[in-house]
Amino acid sequence: MATLIMSFSAMMAGDTKALAAGLRRRDPELLDLLIEQYQYRLFRYLLYLTGSRETAEDLFQETWIRVLDRGHQYDGKAKFETWLFAIARHLVIDLQRRKKPESLDSLAAPEMISAEPSPLERFSKRESETNLQESLGRLPAVYREVLLLRFQEDLALEEIAAVLDAPVSTVKSRLYRGLEMLRQEMGEVGRAG
Amino acid sequence: MPDNLHARARSLISRELVEGIEATEREWLERHLETCAECAVLAGATKRAIGSLRAISIPLPPDLAGRTQFRVYLRSREIRSRERSGWLLWGSFGLSWALGIASAPLVWRGFEWLGHLAGVPNLFLKMAFGLWWGVPAAVAAGIWMLEKRRVEER
Repeated sequence: MATLIMSFSAMMAGDTKALAAGLRRRDPELLDLLIEQYQYRLFRYLLYLTGSRETAEDLFQETWIRVLDRGHQYDGKAKFETWLFAIARHLVIDLQRRKKPESLDSLAAPEMISAEPSPLERFSKRESETNLQESLGRLPAVYREVLLLRFQEDLALEEIAAVLDAPVSTVKSRLYRGLEMLRQEMGEVGRAG
Repeated sequence: MPDNLHARARSLISRELVEGIEATEREWLERHLETCAECAVLAGATKRAIGSLRAISIPLPPDLAGRTQFRVYLRSREIRSRERSGWLLWGSFGLSWALGIASAPLVWRGFEWLGHLAGVPNLFLKMAFGLWWGVPAAVAAGIWMLEKRRVEER
């Protein structure tokens, strides 16, 4: 119980060093808390990246298994979610490589989420959301990803760069390009509707 | 109105969202938007898009966290059990090495005695003694490498 309270207060206080120590110990209570706390954000990120609810579910579980296996690699210098999203992203890339071994930059493939009906479409009710989802679905994954990390996850540019393992300048240019494309797409979807 | 003013406004609308803008730039943009309907529409559309992006909600699969926690629990049990057997394995190797070092003078004498008895050349004796030392180390290294590869494959 004492460990649980300590883990919980460390998480709430954003004490990344305490989190890192807990992950090194493979503290089961801490992991349970982290899974609970980040389930929505991680699942949403994976869903947007993969475009498939089933794949997102599998990768969600794989991500936490990897967090358990490689917890010692988290040094507490960055936010936990940055590290978590980076792990999830690597798993998506690994999966894409297995599907398309010839394409290393498969995240750039626009068909990545259009291969099946967008899961977002299935669940959304509001028209503006539907428009946005359609527009997002048409963006190449590299742009969609940075838009989500910036505006849904509220990550700083440096944190997005850490998730992507790319320079901040690349993140910025993808964000500008992504915003531009989203505006165009939304305009077209709006006109078509 | 010159095109470059619209381009500047367009750039500031995006930059405000991506990395933020200076107060003076914000003032300029606000003044421009008051007089330029086209840029005001663009700014409104951009803000609405970002607002919708933030507002989207996604239903989670049923008991996703519970199922994941169970898988993580099983995996951590597997890791703990592997770590225990790893400790046993390395403990056995350590003990065998300690015994090997302690018994080395006796073993060498035994090798020498047998060698003289059988008339085996000294070089052959030394090689046999080296093997007696080297084989367990090679086995340990082999097991360690296999285990490492297994972990990496996971």
